[in-house]
Amino acid sequence: MSVVPAQQTGGGGGSSGLYDVLELVLDRGLVIDAFVRVSLVGIEILKIDVRVVVASVDTYLRFAEACNRLDLESGPRKSPGLPDVVGQITESGARGKSKGALSGAAQTISDAFNQARQEGEGESRPRARRTASARRKEEQE
Amino acid sequence: MSTYVYGITASSHPALPEDLGGVGDPPRRVRVLTEGGLAAVVSDAPEGLRPKRRDLLAHQNVLSQAGAAGCVLPMRFGSIAPDDEAVTGVLAERADHYRERLGALDGRVEYNIKANHVEEAVLHHVMAENPEIRALAEANRQAGGGSYEDKIRLGEMVAAEVKAREAQDATVLQRLLEPLAEAVSVGPDSTGWLANVSFLVDRGSAEDFLTAVEQARKDHPHLEIRVNGPLPPYSFVEPGPAEPANAAAGADAGAE
Repeated sequence: MSVVPAQQTGGGGGSSGLYDVLELVLDRGLVIDAFVRVSLVGIEILKIDVRVVVASVDTYLRFAEACNRLDLESGPRKSPGLPDVVGQITESGARGKSKGALSGAAQTISDAFNQARQEGEGESRPRARRTASARRKEEQE
Repeated sequence: MSTYVYGITASSHPALPEDLGGVGDPPRRVRVLTEGGLAAVVSDAPEGLRPKRRDLLAHQNVLSQAGAAGCVLPMRFGSIAPDDEAVTGVLAERADHYRERLGALDGRVEYNIKANHVEEAVLHHVMAENPEIRALAEANRQAGGGSYEDKIRLGEMVAAEVKAREAQDATVLQRLLEPLAEAVSVGPDSTGWLANVSFLVDRGSAEDFLTAVEQARKDHPHLEIRVNGPLPPYSFVEPGPAEPANAAAGADAGAE
Protein backbone atom coordinates (compact mmCIF):
# COMPACT_ATOMS: atom_id res chain seq x y z
CA MET A 1 0.00 0.00 0.00
CA SER A 2 3.00 2.25 -0.29
CA VAL A 3 1.39 4.24 -3.08
CA VAL A 4 -1.45 5.25 -0.83
CA PRO A 5 0.17 7.10 2.02
CA ALA A 6 -2.97 8.37 3.68
CA GLN A 7 -4.33 4.86 3.71
CA GLN A 8 -4.76 2.88 6.82
CA THR A 9 -5.69 -0.70 6.45
CA GLY A 10 -6.39 -3.22 9.11
CA GLY A 11 -7.29 -6.82 9.45
CA GLY A 12 -7.20 -8.48 6.09
CA GLY A 13 -3.63 -7.74 5.08
CA GLY A 14 -2.40 -5.77 2.10
CA SER A 15 -4.06 -7.37 -0.86
CA SER A 16 -7.52 -7.60 0.58
CA GLY A 17 -7.23 -4.01 1.78
CA LEU A 18 -6.40 -3.03 -1.75
CA TYR A 19 -9.34 -4.92 -3.11
CA ASP A 20 -11.63 -3.32 -0.58
CA VAL A 21 -10.57 0.17 -1.61
CA LEU A 22 -10.82 -0.54 -5.32
CA GLU A 23 -14.38 -1.64 -4.86
CA LEU A 24 -15.14 1.88 -3.62
CA VAL A 25 -13.13 3.59 -6.38
CA LEU A 26 -15.04 1.68 -9.04
CA ASP A 27 -18.46 1.62 -7.56
CA ARG A 28 -18.96 4.84 -5.66
CA GLY A 29 -18.01 8.47 -6.02
CA LEU A 30 -19.43 11.29 -8.04
CA VAL A 31 -20.81 10.60 -11.52
CA ILE A 32 -21.38 13.51 -13.88
CA ASP A 33 -23.66 12.91 -16.85
CA ALA A 34 -21.74 15.26 -19.11
CA PHE A 35 -18.59 13.14 -18.79
CA VAL A 36 -17.90 9.85 -20.48
CA ARG A 37 -16.96 6.89 -18.33
CA VAL A 38 -14.24 4.45 -19.23
CA SER A 39 -15.68 1.10 -20.15
CA LEU A 40 -15.48 -1.30 -17.25
CA VAL A 41 -16.28 -4.37 -19.28
CA GLY A 42 -14.26 -7.35 -18.22
CA ILE A 43 -13.29 -6.22 -14.78
CA GLU A 44 -13.61 -9.11 -12.43
CA ILE A 45 -13.58 -6.85 -9.45
CA LEU A 46 -16.92 -5.40 -10.49
CA LYS A 47 -18.77 -8.64 -10.39
CA ILE A 48 -20.88 -8.25 -7.36
CA ASP A 49 -22.32 -11.71 -7.20
CA VAL A 50 -25.35 -11.79 -5.05
CA ARG A 51 -25.13 -14.53 -2.50
CA VAL A 52 -25.35 -17.51 -4.76
CA VAL A 53 -22.44 -19.42 -3.35
CA VAL A 54 -23.92 -19.99 0.06
CA ALA A 55 -26.93 -21.67 -1.48
CA SER A 56 -25.06 -24.12 -3.67
CA VAL A 57 -24.61 -27.86 -3.36
CA ASP A 58 -20.86 -27.33 -3.33
CA THR A 59 -21.17 -25.17 -0.29
CA TYR A 60 -23.39 -27.70 1.46
CA LEU A 61 -20.84 -30.44 0.88
CA ARG A 62 -18.03 -28.20 1.98
CA PHE A 63 -19.83 -27.29 5.19
CA ALA A 64 -20.71 -30.91 5.87
CA GLU A 65 -17.09 -31.86 5.38
CA ALA A 66 -15.91 -29.04 7.58
CA CYS A 67 -18.32 -30.04 10.35
CA ASN A 68 -17.21 -33.60 10.06
CA ARG A 69 -13.64 -32.60 10.73
CA LEU A 70 -14.25 -29.94 13.30
CA ASP A 71 -12.62 -30.91 16.52
CA LEU A 72 -15.64 -30.85 18.71
CA GLU A 73 -14.13 -31.75 22.03
CA SER A 74 -16.49 -29.09 23.23
CA GLY A 75 -19.42 -30.79 21.43
CA PRO A 76 -21.66 -32.95 21.29
CA ARG A 77 -22.01 -34.24 24.85
CA LYS A 78 -20.00 -31.70 26.70
CA SER A 79 -21.97 -28.54 26.16
CA PRO A 80 -19.32 -26.13 25.04
CA GLY A 81 -18.14 -23.73 27.67
CA LEU A 82 -17.80 -20.36 26.07
CA PRO A 83 -14.19 -19.73 27.13
CA ASP A 84 -13.19 -22.89 25.35
CA VAL A 85 -14.76 -21.82 22.14
CA VAL A 86 -13.48 -18.28 22.39
CA GLY A 87 -9.94 -19.47 22.95
CA GLN A 88 -9.94 -21.44 19.73
CA ILE A 89 -11.61 -18.66 17.84
CA THR A 90 -9.13 -16.05 18.92
CA GLU A 91 -6.33 -18.23 17.79
CA SER A 92 -7.74 -18.87 14.38
CA GLY A 93 -8.79 -15.25 14.11
CA ALA A 94 -5.28 -14.01 14.75
CA ARG A 95 -3.81 -16.35 12.20
CA GLY A 96 -6.57 -15.47 9.81
CA LYS A 97 -5.52 -11.85 9.92
CA SER A 98 -2.14 -12.47 8.46
CA LYS A 99 -3.23 -14.64 5.58
CA GLY A 100 -6.91 -14.28 4.86
CA ALA A 101 -10.16 -15.17 6.43
CA LEU A 102 -9.92 -18.90 6.49
CA SER A 103 -6.25 -19.54 7.03
CA GLY A 104 -6.68 -20.29 10.68
CA ALA A 105 -9.16 -23.00 9.92
CA ALA A 106 -6.97 -24.76 7.42
CA GLN A 107 -5.51 -27.54 9.53
CA THR A 108 -8.77 -29.11 10.47
CA ILE A 109 -10.71 -28.63 7.33
CA SER A 110 -10.79 -30.62 4.16
CA ASP A 111 -8.43 -30.59 1.22
CA ALA A 112 -11.02 -29.15 -1.07
CA PHE A 113 -11.31 -26.32 1.36
CA ASN A 114 -7.58 -25.86 1.35
CA GLN A 115 -7.47 -25.76 -2.36
CA ALA A 116 -10.14 -23.13 -2.55
CA ARG A 117 -8.24 -21.03 -0.09
CA GLN A 118 -5.01 -21.23 -2.01
CA GLU A 119 -6.76 -20.14 -5.15
CA GLY A 120 -8.15 -17.23 -3.24
CA GLU A 121 -4.84 -16.12 -1.80
CA GLY A 122 -3.14 -15.67 -5.12
CA GLU A 123 -4.91 -12.51 -6.09
CA SER A 124 -7.00 -9.70 -4.81
CA ARG A 125 -9.79 -10.74 -2.59
CA PRO A 126 -12.50 -12.97 -1.63
CA ARG A 127 -12.10 -16.60 -1.75
CA ALA A 128 -15.77 -17.19 -2.12
CA ARG A 129 -15.79 -15.26 -5.36
CA ARG A 130 -12.59 -16.82 -6.63
CA THR A 131 -13.90 -20.24 -5.88
CA ALA A 132 -17.13 -19.38 -7.55
CA SER A 133 -15.42 -18.25 -10.72
CA ALA A 134 -13.05 -21.20 -10.65
CA ARG A 135 -16.03 -23.44 -10.31
CA ARG A 136 -17.77 -21.74 -13.18
CA LYS A 137 -14.71 -22.31 -15.29
CA GLU A 138 -14.72 -25.96 -14.40
CA GLU A 139 -18.33 -26.24 -15.34
CA GLN A 140 -17.68 -24.71 -18.69
CA GLU A 141 -14.97 -27.16 -19.49
CA MET B 1 -7.12 16.26 -25.71
CA SER B 2 -9.73 14.87 -23.35
CA THR B 3 -9.51 15.50 -19.62
CA TYR B 4 -9.55 12.93 -16.84
CA VAL B 5 -11.30 14.17 -13.69
CA TYR B 6 -10.32 12.94 -10.21
CA GLY B 7 -12.40 15.11 -7.98
CA ILE B 8 -13.88 18.47 -7.15
CA THR B 9 -12.74 20.71 -4.36
CA ALA B 10 -12.86 24.34 -3.24
CA SER B 11 -10.52 26.68 -5.10
CA SER B 12 -9.14 27.67 -1.70
CA HIS B 13 -7.87 24.10 -1.36
CA PRO B 14 -4.13 23.95 -0.57
CA ALA B 15 -1.88 23.27 -3.57
CA LEU B 16 -1.19 19.67 -4.48
CA PRO B 17 2.32 18.21 -4.43
CA GLU B 18 4.31 19.41 -7.48
CA ASP B 19 5.04 16.08 -9.09
CA LEU B 20 1.79 14.27 -8.41
CA GLY B 21 1.29 11.62 -11.07
CA GLY B 22 -2.14 10.51 -12.23
CA VAL B 23 -3.49 7.78 -14.48
CA GLY B 24 -1.68 6.52 -17.55
CA ASP B 25 1.72 5.13 -18.37
CA PRO B 26 3.74 7.24 -18.00
CA PRO B 27 1.55 8.90 -15.34
CA ARG B 28 -0.06 12.11 -16.59
CA ARG B 29 0.72 15.19 -14.55
CA VAL B 30 -2.07 16.21 -12.21
CA ARG B 31 -3.26 19.80 -12.51
CA VAL B 32 -6.06 21.96 -11.18
CA LEU B 33 -8.78 23.83 -13.09
CA THR B 34 -10.64 26.57 -11.25
CA GLU B 35 -14.01 28.13 -11.89
CA GLY B 36 -15.65 30.51 -9.45
CA GLY B 37 -14.99 29.21 -5.97
CA LEU B 38 -14.49 25.65 -7.15
CA ALA B 39 -11.62 23.60 -8.53
CA ALA B 40 -11.35 20.32 -10.38
CA VAL B 41 -8.36 18.03 -9.92
CA VAL B 42 -7.63 16.71 -13.41
CA SER B 43 -4.97 15.39 -15.76
CA ASP B 44 -4.84 14.68 -19.47
CA ALA B 45 -6.71 11.48 -20.22
CA PRO B 46 -4.48 8.80 -21.73
CA GLU B 47 -5.72 7.23 -24.95
CA GLY B 48 -7.55 3.98 -24.43
CA LEU B 49 -7.62 4.19 -20.65
CA ARG B 50 -8.66 0.91 -19.11
CA PRO B 51 -9.39 0.18 -15.48
CA LYS B 52 -6.05 -1.40 -14.76
CA ARG B 53 -4.90 -1.91 -11.25
CA ARG B 54 -2.19 0.73 -11.57
CA ASP B 55 -4.66 3.31 -12.87
CA LEU B 56 -7.19 2.54 -10.18
CA LEU B 57 -4.46 3.02 -7.61
CA ALA B 58 -3.34 6.26 -9.25
CA HIS B 59 -6.90 7.56 -9.05
CA GLN B 60 -7.11 6.64 -5.39
CA ASN B 61 -3.66 8.05 -4.68
CA VAL B 62 -4.41 11.45 -6.21
CA LEU B 63 -7.61 11.66 -4.18
CA SER B 64 -5.81 10.58 -1.01
CA GLN B 65 -3.19 13.27 -1.47
CA ALA B 66 -5.75 15.93 -2.28
CA GLY B 67 -8.04 14.78 0.50
CA ALA B 68 -5.30 14.96 3.10
CA ALA B 69 -5.21 18.74 2.70
CA GLY B 70 -8.95 19.38 2.69
CA CYS B 71 -12.31 18.19 1.49
CA VAL B 72 -12.52 16.68 -2.00
CA LEU B 73 -15.55 15.24 -3.72
CA PRO B 74 -14.12 12.11 -5.36
CA MET B 75 -15.23 11.17 -8.85
CA ARG B 76 -15.92 7.56 -9.62
CA PHE B 77 -13.02 6.02 -11.50
CA GLY B 78 -12.90 6.65 -15.23
CA SER B 79 -14.70 9.99 -15.65
CA ILE B 80 -13.49 11.72 -18.81
CA ALA B 81 -14.56 15.14 -20.10
CA PRO B 82 -14.07 16.13 -23.74
CA ASP B 83 -11.76 18.99 -22.71
CA ASP B 84 -10.90 21.38 -19.87
CA GLU B 85 -13.70 23.78 -20.82
CA ALA B 86 -16.28 21.03 -20.38
CA VAL B 87 -15.00 20.53 -16.83
CA THR B 88 -15.13 24.20 -15.86
CA GLY B 89 -18.52 24.36 -17.55
CA VAL B 90 -19.85 21.66 -15.23
CA LEU B 91 -18.31 23.39 -12.20
CA ALA B 92 -20.13 26.59 -13.11
CA GLU B 93 -23.40 24.88 -13.89
CA ARG B 94 -23.64 22.86 -10.68
CA ALA B 95 -21.68 25.20 -8.41
CA ASP B 96 -24.37 25.38 -5.71
CA HIS B 97 -24.65 21.64 -5.44
CA TYR B 98 -20.89 21.09 -5.15
CA ARG B 99 -20.52 23.90 -2.61
CA GLU B 100 -23.25 22.38 -0.52
CA ARG B 101 -21.57 18.95 -0.58
CA LEU B 102 -18.13 20.38 0.15
CA GLY B 103 -19.59 22.22 3.11
CA ALA B 104 -21.44 19.16 4.39
CA LEU B 105 -18.39 16.91 4.07
CA ASP B 106 -15.77 19.37 5.28
CA GLY B 107 -13.57 17.88 7.98
CA ARG B 108 -15.06 14.43 7.49
CA VAL B 109 -13.64 11.24 6.09
CA GLU B 110 -15.00 7.87 5.07
CA TYR B 111 -14.15 4.64 6.81
CA ASN B 112 -15.24 1.52 5.02
CA ILE B 113 -15.80 -1.57 7.09
CA LYS B 114 -15.99 -5.03 5.64
CA ALA B 115 -16.44 -8.11 7.73
CA ASN B 116 -16.30 -11.85 7.23
CA HIS B 117 -16.83 -14.80 9.47
CA VAL B 118 -13.82 -16.76 10.58
CA GLU B 119 -15.34 -19.89 9.20
CA GLU B 120 -14.17 -22.44 11.70
CA ALA B 121 -15.22 -20.17 14.52
CA VAL B 122 -18.69 -19.62 13.16
CA LEU B 123 -19.10 -23.35 12.54
CA HIS B 124 -18.24 -23.92 16.17
CA HIS B 125 -20.90 -21.43 17.17
CA VAL B 126 -23.49 -23.01 14.89
CA MET B 127 -22.74 -26.49 16.20
CA ALA B 128 -22.73 -25.32 19.78
CA GLU B 129 -26.08 -23.61 19.50
CA ASN B 130 -28.02 -26.07 17.40
CA PRO B 131 -28.48 -29.57 18.87
CA GLU B 132 -30.09 -30.87 15.69
CA ILE B 133 -27.07 -29.95 13.60
CA ARG B 134 -24.77 -31.35 16.25
CA ALA B 135 -26.61 -34.66 16.28
CA LEU B 136 -26.62 -34.90 12.51
CA ALA B 137 -22.92 -34.11 12.30
CA GLU B 138 -22.20 -36.74 14.91
CA ALA B 139 -24.30 -39.33 13.08
CA ASN B 140 -22.50 -38.56 9.84
CA ARG B 141 -19.15 -38.83 11.51
CA GLN B 142 -19.96 -42.21 12.97
CA ALA B 143 -21.12 -43.36 9.56
CA GLY B 144 -17.73 -42.45 8.17
CA GLY B 145 -18.87 -39.12 6.79
CA GLY B 146 -22.41 -40.08 5.88
CA SER B 147 -24.10 -40.57 2.53
CA TYR B 148 -24.26 -37.86 -0.12
CA GLU B 149 -27.82 -37.05 0.96
CA ASP B 150 -26.80 -36.90 4.61
CA LYS B 151 -24.02 -34.49 3.79
CA ILE B 152 -26.26 -32.28 1.71
CA ARG B 153 -28.84 -32.23 4.47
CA LEU B 154 -26.28 -31.30 7.11
CA GLY B 155 -24.59 -28.76 4.85
CA GLU B 156 -27.87 -27.13 3.98
CA MET B 157 -28.80 -26.74 7.62
CA VAL B 158 -25.38 -25.36 8.46
CA ALA B 159 -25.47 -22.97 5.51
CA ALA B 160 -28.85 -21.63 6.62
CA GLU B 161 -27.57 -21.07 10.15
CA VAL B 162 -24.39 -19.43 8.90
CA LYS B 163 -26.40 -17.14 6.66
CA ALA B 164 -28.68 -16.17 9.52
CA ARG B 165 -25.64 -15.38 11.61
CA GLU B 166 -24.18 -13.28 8.82
CA ALA B 167 -27.25 -11.07 8.77
CA GLN B 168 -27.32 -10.92 12.54
CA ASP B 169 -23.64 -10.05 12.83
CA ALA B 170 -23.90 -7.41 10.11
CA THR B 171 -26.63 -5.69 12.09
CA VAL B 172 -24.72 -5.96 15.35
CA LEU B 173 -21.60 -4.48 13.78
CA GLN B 174 -23.44 -1.58 12.19
CA ARG B 175 -25.28 -0.78 15.42
CA LEU B 176 -21.99 -0.76 17.33
CA LEU B 177 -20.31 1.69 15.01
CA GLU B 178 -23.02 4.01 13.80
CA PRO B 179 -23.25 6.05 17.01
CA LEU B 180 -19.69 7.19 16.24
CA ALA B 181 -20.48 8.22 12.67
CA GLU B 182 -22.38 11.13 11.19
CA ALA B 183 -23.77 9.13 8.32
CA VAL B 184 -23.87 5.55 7.17
CA SER B 185 -23.90 4.12 3.66
CA VAL B 186 -24.50 0.43 3.18
CA GLY B 187 -22.63 -1.02 0.20
CA PRO B 188 -23.78 -3.74 -2.16
CA ASP B 189 -24.16 -7.32 -0.99
CA SER B 190 -21.62 -9.75 -2.25
CA THR B 191 -20.22 -13.13 -1.52
CA GLY B 192 -16.97 -11.47 -0.44
CA TRP B 193 -18.24 -10.19 2.88
CA LEU B 194 -21.13 -10.28 5.32
CA ALA B 195 -21.00 -6.55 5.95
CA ASN B 196 -19.86 -3.76 3.68
CA VAL B 197 -20.68 -0.45 5.31
CA SER B 198 -19.15 2.99 4.97
CA PHE B 199 -19.21 5.45 7.83
CA LEU B 200 -18.77 9.19 7.54
CA VAL B 201 -16.60 10.21 10.48
CA ASP B 202 -15.45 13.58 11.71
CA ARG B 203 -11.65 13.73 11.58
CA GLY B 204 -11.71 14.77 15.22
CA SER B 205 -13.47 11.61 16.34
CA ALA B 206 -11.66 9.18 14.02
CA GLU B 207 -9.69 7.91 17.00
CA ASP B 208 -12.90 7.04 18.85
CA PHE B 209 -14.26 5.30 15.80
CA LEU B 210 -11.15 3.15 15.43
CA THR B 211 -11.22 2.34 19.13
CA ALA B 212 -14.79 1.14 18.71
CA VAL B 213 -13.71 -1.06 15.79
CA GLU B 214 -10.95 -2.51 17.93
CA GLN B 215 -13.44 -3.19 20.68
CA ALA B 216 -15.77 -4.89 18.20
CA ARG B 217 -12.90 -7.13 17.15
CA LYS B 218 -12.30 -8.13 20.75
CA ASP B 219 -15.95 -8.68 21.53
CA HIS B 220 -16.69 -10.62 18.35
CA PRO B 221 -13.66 -12.77 17.70
CA HIS B 222 -15.54 -14.88 15.16
CA LEU B 223 -15.61 -11.84 12.87
CA GLU B 224 -12.75 -10.76 10.68
CA ILE B 225 -13.23 -7.00 10.47
CA ARG B 226 -11.37 -4.95 7.90
CA VAL B 227 -11.13 -1.19 8.11
CA ASN B 228 -10.16 1.07 5.26
CA GLY B 229 -9.72 4.74 5.90
CA PRO B 230 -9.47 7.60 6.18
CA LEU B 231 -10.74 7.74 2.61
CA PRO B 232 -12.21 10.52 0.50
CA PRO B 233 -15.96 10.37 1.05
CA TYR B 234 -16.72 8.18 -1.96
CA SER B 235 -20.00 6.98 -0.54
CA PHE B 236 -21.25 10.37 0.57
CA VAL B 237 -20.83 12.61 -2.46
CA GLU B 238 -24.51 12.52 -3.34
CA PRO B 239 -27.06 13.39 -0.70
CA GLY B 240 -29.15 10.42 -1.84
CA PRO B 241 -27.52 7.18 -0.68
CA ALA B 242 -26.07 8.52 2.53
CA GLU B 243 -28.55 8.68 5.34
CA PRO B 244 -28.08 10.08 8.80
CA ALA B 245 -26.91 7.37 11.14
CA ASN B 246 -30.13 7.26 13.15
CA ALA B 247 -32.32 7.10 10.05
CA ALA B 248 -30.34 4.11 8.81
CA ALA B 249 -30.81 2.41 12.15
CA GLY B 250 -34.53 3.04 11.95
CA ALA B 251 -34.78 1.59 8.48
CA ASP B 252 -32.84 -1.42 9.63
CA ALA B 253 -35.13 -2.06 12.55
CA GLY B 254 -38.10 -1.72 10.27
CA ALA B 255 -36.76 -4.35 7.95
CA GLU B 256 -36.50 -6.96 10.65
